[in-house]
Amino acid sequence: MYQFLKRFQSLDRRWVFLGMAISIVLPMLFPVHFPTKVDERVQSLYDRLEELEPGDKVFVSADFDPASRPELEPFFRANLHHMFSRDVDIVIGSLWPFAPPLVTPMIEDLAAQHGAVYGEDYAFLGFKMGNELAIKMIGDDIIKAFPVDSRENVTADLPIMNGIRQAQDFELIMSVSAGFPGTKEYVLQIQGQYNLEIASSTTAVSTPDYVPFYKAGQLFGLAGGMPGSAHYEQLVYEDYPVEGVRMMATQALDVLNLGHLYIIILIVFGNIAFFLTREVEE
Amino acid sequence: MKRTVPLIISFIVGLVMVGEFFIPHYKYRAVTSELLEWGLILAAGAFILGLVNLVQVNLPVVIQKKEDWGYKLVMLITLVVTLLIGIYSGTGRQDDGEHYKWLFDYMFVPLNATMFALLAFYIASAAFRAFRARNLEATLLLAAAILVMLARVPIGEAIPVVGDYLPKVMNWIMDVPNIAGRRAIFIGAALGAVSTGLRVILGLERSHLGGE
Repeated sequence: MYQFLKRFQSLDRRWVFLGMAISIVLPMLFPVHFPTKVDERVQSLYDRLEELEPGDKVFVSADFDPASRPELEPFFRANLHHMFSRDVDIVIGSLWPFAPPLVTPMIEDLAAQHGAVYGEDYAFLGFKMGNELAIKMIGDDIIKAFPVDSRENVTADLPIMNGIRQAQDFELIMSVSAGFPGTKEYVLQIQGQYNLEIASSTTAVSTPDYVPFYKAGQLFGLAGGMPGSAHYEQLVYEDYPVEGVRMMATQALDVLNLGHLYIIILIVFGNIAFFLTREVEE
Repeated sequence: MKRTVPLIISFIVGLVMVGEFFIPHYKYRAVTSELLEWGLILAAGAFILGLVNLVQVNLPVVIQKKEDWGYKLVMLITLVVTLLIGIYSGTGRQDDGEHYKWLFDYMFVPLNATMFALLAFYIASAAFRAFRARNLEATLLLAAAILVMLARVPIGEAIPVVGDYLPKVMNWIMDVPNIAGRRAIFIGAALGAVSTGLRVILGLERSHLGGE
């Protein structure tokens, strides 16, 4: 027994990897949808967006890359669908250089579904470099920050930008953020100074960082990681159904279920083996 | 002179930017907005400096065939190819069918996603090997990690009886000990940033000028 437990503790990591691979693949092949309760932070985000009136303008900062895409794309898509469904005007910008080629097809896809007109119902201002400086500039003068949009139009000439000069002129700001620069920098640089209403969708690793902002009222909503995106998807597609829609985050929760369970089992059995062998050695 | 002029510029610009918080007048904001624009132009210039630096550091290694020169060669070739294709494709580089778009969609996206996805495997392996309840602190960390991991997924909520309490326990962990720790770190970091900012404005901190 002692020898077995010793060997178990020094198990070749390739077996651990194989177990993880099975935990990921199995739920994809045989999905089991467990019901889930919507998180209070996601509900708060959804409720505030439900208060928006047609014609209200929202700035969405799409700050993610292919690595964080599985966690944030479902939220981004559901969020655009939610706002387009409510006839809210959407202005999108990005502080991450890898975001524009990634989000442009998503924006165009959603806009086409809703028959949204570019420049009137939505606009994509493209990438702005400068991190905190760019955020400060968005707060001060968004036209100066993005003089031309992603289609080389003069931003100030877009009908959607009528009455918009700075971040304060938007009803809300949605920060879809995978890290730096993102939600934290929006809160630190401009939220307090301009008293802006900001909500965030973020990766699971960043969520604990942003919870204090939510608790302090600096964020009105927070969708953390894959579960956050899944909760938001459920709320949106229940009230604004789309035929044949693939709820990516909700499906991915199955993978997360087994993945988390597998890691927990590894930790628990690793500790049991550790204590049993230590007792014998002592 | 080489030091005095940058110090004077830092002092004036720093003071003007801080002043924005105390003088909420549109004319004053026009000045700070102009300064911000200069900052953005400088930040864009930093990209070019980064490019030059990357070549300066890696090219000699490739020429002298030092350790890992092969990887650096691949990196330099990729850099040049992407740059040239990006410049050649111009403003339509992100359109379907463009070579630049192809590079992004079929090279960068899968590579970047793969690197991140590998984390799941390494985290599983590291958790199995290193996560041991050796003392009280480690035991608390371990218990909190297991509870949060379980409560974050629907399977945790589906556990009979316990499942009803798991999200509450997780929210308490996130809202109380987590926030207490994070706020302490944020406030400490903010005070540090304020003091560093003041030192730069007053010319006491000169490391950004090189030397010292």
